[in-house]
Amino acid sequence: MKIGIPRALLYSIYLPLWKTFLEELGHTVILSNHTDQNILDNGVKNCVDDACLPVKIFHGHVTALAGRTDIILIPRLVSVYPGEFICPKFIGLPEMIKHSVPCNPGIIIMNFNARFSMDRGYDGMRNLGRELGATKDLVAQALDRARIRQAEHMRRMEAEPGFNPVRSIDKKDQKPPRLDQGIIGLIGHPYLVYDRYINMNICDKLNERGYGILFPENIPAESVDRACNRYPKKLFWSYGKRLLGSGLCMLENKLVDGLILLTSFGCGIDAFIDELLIRANHREYKIPLTTITLDEHTGQAGFDTRLEAFIDMMEWRSRYDNHVPTYGTGVYPGKSLI
Amino acid sequence: MTITFPHMGQVYIPVKALFDDLGVPVVVPPPVSNKTLEIGTRIAPEMACLPMKINLGNYIQSMEKGADTIVLTGSCGPCRFGYYGIVEQEILRDQGYHAEIIILDAPGRDPRDLLRKIRKISGNSPWKNIIRAFIQASKIVEQTDKLQGIFLRKRPRELNKGQTDDLQSRFEKQILQCRGSKEVMRLIRSFQVKADGIPERADANPLRIGLVGEIYTLIEPYVNLNIEYKLGYLGAEVHRGITIADWVKTHLSMDRKYKKQRKEKLKKGANYLNLCIGGHAWETIASTVDYADAGMDGVIQILPFGCMPEIVAESIIPSISRNRSLPVMTLTVDELTGEAGYLTRLEAFVDLLSQKKGTVYE
Repeated sequence: MKIGIPRALLYSIYLPLWKTFLEELGHTVILSNHTDQNILDNGVKNCVDDACLPVKIFHGHVTALAGRTDIILIPRLVSVYPGEFICPKFIGLPEMIKHSVPCNPGIIIMNFNARFSMDRGYDGMRNLGRELGATKDLVAQALDRARIRQAEHMRRMEAEPGFNPVRSIDKKDQKPPRLDQGIIGLIGHPYLVYDRYINMNICDKLNERGYGILFPENIPAESVDRACNRYPKKLFWSYGKRLLGSGLCMLENKLVDGLILLTSFGCGIDAFIDELLIRANHREYKIPLTTITLDEHTGQAGFDTRLEAFIDMMEWRSRYDNHVPTYGTGVYPGKSLI
Repeated sequence: MTITFPHMGQVYIPVKALFDDLGVPVVVPPPVSNKTLEIGTRIAPEMACLPMKINLGNYIQSMEKGADTIVLTGSCGPCRFGYYGIVEQEILRDQGYHAEIIILDAPGRDPRDLLRKIRKISGNSPWKNIIRAFIQASKIVEQTDKLQGIFLRKRPRELNKGQTDDLQSRFEKQILQCRGSKEVMRLIRSFQVKADGIPERADANPLRIGLVGEIYTLIEPYVNLNIEYKLGYLGAEVHRGITIADWVKTHLSMDRKYKKQRKEKLKKGANYLNLCIGGHAWETIASTVDYADAGMDGVIQILPFGCMPEIVAESIIPSISRNRSLPVMTLTVDELTGEAGYLTRLEAFVDLLSQKKGTVYE
C-alpha cells in the first residue's frame, strides 16, 4: 500500500521511526513535497483561521498528498515523554484534518502516547501495524528496526552541532559548520526551524553572514532538564521544555553570541516559553536576543531587514561594548566633547 | 498574610466565605474592568491568552489594596493554564511586586505538598475547621449556580423588563457586605426566593441557546461582554454547559455519581472527538451534541484568542452543525474585542434563529 506522510510539523524529528516502521511492514512511503506557496495557500484555505501557521501548513500538505496515495498517515502525538504533553493541537490533529479538509482523503491515525511509560507509547504503532494486516512478530521486528533508526537520528541531532535533520532525511550531506563570526542560537519549534520555506531560509542567511547555528535539538536532554529545574513547577510540554531548557543552557554556558527566537503567530506555548527565556536573559545574561514572529503574511524583505539589523547590532556590540571613553572624549575617536 | 485570588465570574462568593470562615484576611479584587485589562495587557506576554491578562490585572489591583499572597489553582497540562502561576510570578517579580503565588495543583504522587499549602493559606487552622469551611464553600457554589440559573430563566420571560437585572445587581452589591458562609448562604437563599417571584409573561416562548467554550470566557461576564444579559434581552434563554459547580465537582470532589454522569455526557461527542485534548474542548464538543439532542435553537462557542484546545473544537464544530442542522456561531474574544460589533453579531444570530423557528422577537 502507498502511504503518504505529510512533510509538516514533527516529521523532521520522527520520520525515521515512522518511515522505517511502515517500510519494514512492506508498504511504500510517499512524502509530500517541501512546503511551497501552493501548499501554504491550500493550508490557509482549508483550516480554521485561529490555528497557527504550522498547523495550517500541515493541512496544506494533506491536500497535496490527496490522490497521490492510497491513504494518508496522520500522527496523533499525545505525549512523547512520560508525564509530559505536547501542544493540544497535535492531540486533536486527526480530528482537525477529518473535519476541515473537504476532499476527504482516506486517513489512518497513528497514536503515540508515552504519558505513562515510554514503551506503552509504542502501543499505538503496534496497533496500527496489526490494523494494516501484519503479524504480531513482523510488527515487533519492524518496530525494533524503526527504533534503532530513530535512536541514531536522535543521537546525531544531539551530537552534531548544527545538524539539520531535514537534510539528513533528504539524504543530503550536512553542511560543515561555520564558526568564523560566531554562533547564533536559533530557538524555535522543529517545524519552524527546519522548514526552509516558512522561516525564509534563515539558516542559509545566517551561514552566509558567517554564523554557525545551534539548534535546540543540539543540547543534550539532561542539560535541558537541569536548566529547567530553576522553575518551581515541572514544565509539562516536551517541546516547550526543550526550547526553554536549551535556550537557558546556551545562555548559562555562553555557547552562543546571540539568540533568535522563532515563533509562529498565535503559538500558545511560545507565548509563555519565550517570555520566561527573555526575562531570564534580561535579568542575568544580557546577550543580544530578538524574536521573529512568522505567519502566512510574513514578507521576505521585512524579515531580511530585521535579521540584518540584529546581526549588525550584535557585531557593533562586540566591537564597541566595554569601550568606555576617557573623560572628555567621545565614543568615536577624534571627536572631542569639550 | 492577606490573601487574594483571581476573579472568575462568581467564584469570589464562595472563596471569600471560605477565608472568612477560617479567619484569614482576604481581599476580593475589584470587579474586572477596562482598567484591570489595561494593567494586564501592559505587562503580560502579547500572545498570552486573555484570562492571564485579566488575572495579572486582578493581582495588581488587589495588591494596591493590601494583598500579599495570591492563591490560584493549577493543572498539569496540556492547556496553558497549568503554567500560569510560574509565568505570572516571573512577571510580577520584574514589575517589582513581591507577592507570593501559591499554586494549588492537583496532587500527583505526593499529596503532602498540596496539604502543606492548604494548611498555610488557611492560617494554620485545625484540619477540622478547614474541612468544614470547604464543605460550606462547596454548598455556596451550588446555591450560587442555582441562583444564576433562576436569573437566566427569568430574564427572557420577565413581565417588567429589567427586573431581573435590577435584582442581580442588588445581589452583587449586598453579597460583598456579607461575612462568613452563614450570612452568605442566608442572602443567597433570600434572593432565590425573590428571583423565583419575578412575574413572567404568559405568552413567553423564548429561543433556547446553548453556550459552550472555554470555561473562563463562559463564566466571567466582563470577558464575554455579558453575553448572558445580552442574549436574555434579545429574548433568548441561555443554557450554559459549564458552571463553577461542575468544575468543583470534577476536580475537587469525590462525587462518583457526578463523574459517571459526566463521562456519559462526554461519550455523546465520541463520533467527533473521543479524548481529552486539554482545557474544555471535549466538553465543548460533547455539549454541542448534547444541545442538538435537547433540541436547542442554536449554540454559541466562545473562546479567548489563541486558546489551543478550543481551536481544535472550533474546527470540528462545523461538522456537528452540518450533520445536526444546528446553527452554531463562534466568537473569539481578546482585549481588542469591540462591544458594538459583538452585539451586532448576536442580534444577527438571534434574528436567524427566530426566522428558522418561525417566531419574531420584539
